[in-house]
Amino acid sequence: MGLEIHTPYTLPVNDNVPGNDYAFCVELDGQPWFTSKGAMIAYYGNVRFEPLGQTSMPAIVAARFSSPLYSNDWVLAQGQGKLILGDRGFNINSYDLDDGNLTIRASNLLAFQPTLDLKQSIVPGFLTLLGTGKFLASSNGPVMFAEPPLRIDPEALVGWADCPSPSHHFDAGWMQNFLGAARGFLGANSGEERQFDFTGAGTVLIQSSEKVLDDGHLLRHIESQTVTLGQNSLRALHNTIGSQLQQ
Amino acid sequence: MPLELVNSKVVKSTLAPGQNVLARKGAMLYYTGDVHFIPHSMGGAASGMPSMGGVAGMAGRMMSGEHVAMMAAEGQGEVFYGHAGLYVEVIHLDGSSMLTVEADRLLVHDGYLQSSIVALTSQGGVRGAVRGAMTGQGLFTTQLTGQGSVAVLSHGGAIPLQVGPQHPQVVVDPQAYVCHIGNISVDISANVGWRDAVGRGSGEAIQLKMTGTGTVWVQASEQKF
Amino acid sequence: MAQLTTNGHRVLVANLTGDSLRAISGSMVAYEGDVAFKNAGMGGGGLRAALKQKVTGESLSLMEVSGKGIVYFAVDAQDITIVELANDSMHVEASQLLALTGQIKTEVKFSGLRGASSGQGLFTTIVSGTGSVALLSAGGPLIALAVDPQYPLVVDPDAFVAHRGSLNQSFVTDVTWRSAIGGGSGEAFSLRFDGQGVVYIQPEER
Repeated sequence: MGLEIHTPYTLPVNDNVPGNDYAFCVELDGQPWFTSKGAMIAYYGNVRFEPLGQTSMPAIVAARFSSPLYSNDWVLAQGQGKLILGDRGFNINSYDLDDGNLTIRASNLLAFQPTLDLKQSIVPGFLTLLGTGKFLASSNGPVMFAEPPLRIDPEALVGWADCPSPSHHFDAGWMQNFLGAARGFLGANSGEERQFDFTGAGTVLIQSSEKVLDDGHLLRHIESQTVTLGQNSLRALHNTIGSQLQQ
Repeated sequence: MPLELVNSKVVKSTLAPGQNVLARKGAMLYYTGDVHFIPHSMGGAASGMPSMGGVAGMAGRMMSGEHVAMMAAEGQGEVFYGHAGLYVEVIHLDGSSMLTVEADRLLVHDGYLQSSIVALTSQGGVRGAVRGAMTGQGLFTTQLTGQGSVAVLSHGGAIPLQVGPQHPQVVVDPQAYVCHIGNISVDISANVGWRDAVGRGSGEAIQLKMTGTGTVWVQASEQKF
Repeated sequence: MAQLTTNGHRVLVANLTGDSLRAISGSMVAYEGDVAFKNAGMGGGGLRAALKQKVTGESLSLMEVSGKGIVYFAVDAQDITIVELANDSMHVEASQLLALTGQIKTEVKFSGLRGASSGQGLFTTIVSGTGSVALLSAGGPLIALAVDPQYPLVVDPDAFVAHRGSLNQSFVTDVTWRSAIGGGSGEAFSLRFDGQGVVYIQPEER
């Protein structure tokens, strides 16, 4: 039977569990890692998970984690041991940033070393990582890398490095015909007409699916924005949500 | 080859003048180059569509209701397709046989394949309709002929099983049936013993019996998607 | 005894030559040959076993598959791993048990109070004897982790699939690592294993 039985000594240091694209092993050796809550599936050793508001290393958190909206979804994993991470059965891969910058969908960022700075991007539901260090991203299906110029379905986007933030693109041909006009501009389940357009020099990270399952981070962002709406706007939003639910 | 697997869940189609593809609407992940997407519908004036350009030569049809809407892609570039994280298989047709696939399992196919939508009721009356309901595809199946490639979707990946002299009858769970190619008869039957064995509702009692010569693809899941 | 192999990672293939095996009801995706499917009740324990199932809520609905032919099984695109038992036993989450061959017995046991309810409640399934056991793993391939007095192991209960050997299972109530997003029905504890043995986990939280 070919199933390898791992011990803390045979598990890799900061790499996927051998033969498994869906589980990753992080080594904690005095150096902490920021990890997304819910990512831990097993660990060996003496590991503590500290909520960011009550950590034993407040200086690191203050310096590196600049996103109050998401701080409740993260912990600082500390101690000595081997930590195995998994995320909803998604593919997990590690990437190295070398004095770089990456903007990534918050629900796709699984863990990162505190040598990186985390900031909240102005793009809703996205975070920006700056500096040098390793981070882990999870994705629905393997991540594909491509260079601009390209156009992408917004839900297939995982993140981008170095190139400018994307802009919206509307397929002119599609917009002209009456089917497109009838659907309106809300982009509700309407196929190809809403795309993100990337140009410039850099790399775009794309997942193998156009479905973003239950993006809790985006939901949190949208909810936080509703406090700025007045009564009329709230009623209009209520109707929009109602019609979305019926589809 | 115009259709190439990039990974187990994504297929890349290379477009050039005269080399188009027809794909499930909404399944485009990203593209490079100069590409246009055109909804695919019945050729003719009824819909009020402007000129369809290069896709006019295709013989497909789009119907409303249970059929899945398709989009043609044409131009010069590369388009990457995937859907809902489902696995993708690419099947090559050499012109000698017809591929039958559930309408909503079709991801993308070469534009020069002849495709027709068949209502299952036209094959075998009530039993055909029951088969459709059991496989979850409603009443429509897509038949493709010609030479070219087809990318089909499955939950967990699909394995090909041969049907022929050495395998005279292959029985398939309707929910796990993906597609078949060749000269195969599909007969639905209710296996009484099977119905006894499962406490999951009457749907499980129905089985698809495949006989003849060809290949049937079965997915790694007993639930459709 | 029926021969079990896999076709790829997610389809179990059983070659039956006049014998039988037990598998999760409804998991057959295709077969050829002369094969019969019968309700096997709860692990072949007859009426008492059926009552036990009702009481415990531990869902283990098996069918008996017998005859001469090749049968293909799959469950929800989950990964499949075949584990051999040689006159020993294994504790398994009922939902992750796909098939059993040979004389392997199944038994449902009370496994201690676990606080908040999970889908499987307070019970676990023990498989014992000699033969092959096909395990399911959601979200990717099964991961086998050794446990030794020198290195105990802590596991997310929603990722736990099975364990074997002489292990002591206890509950750890520190769950700071648990996610609040999506209000998941996660357990309010982790599982800790001490002793000597192997624990099997899956990449996806149930």
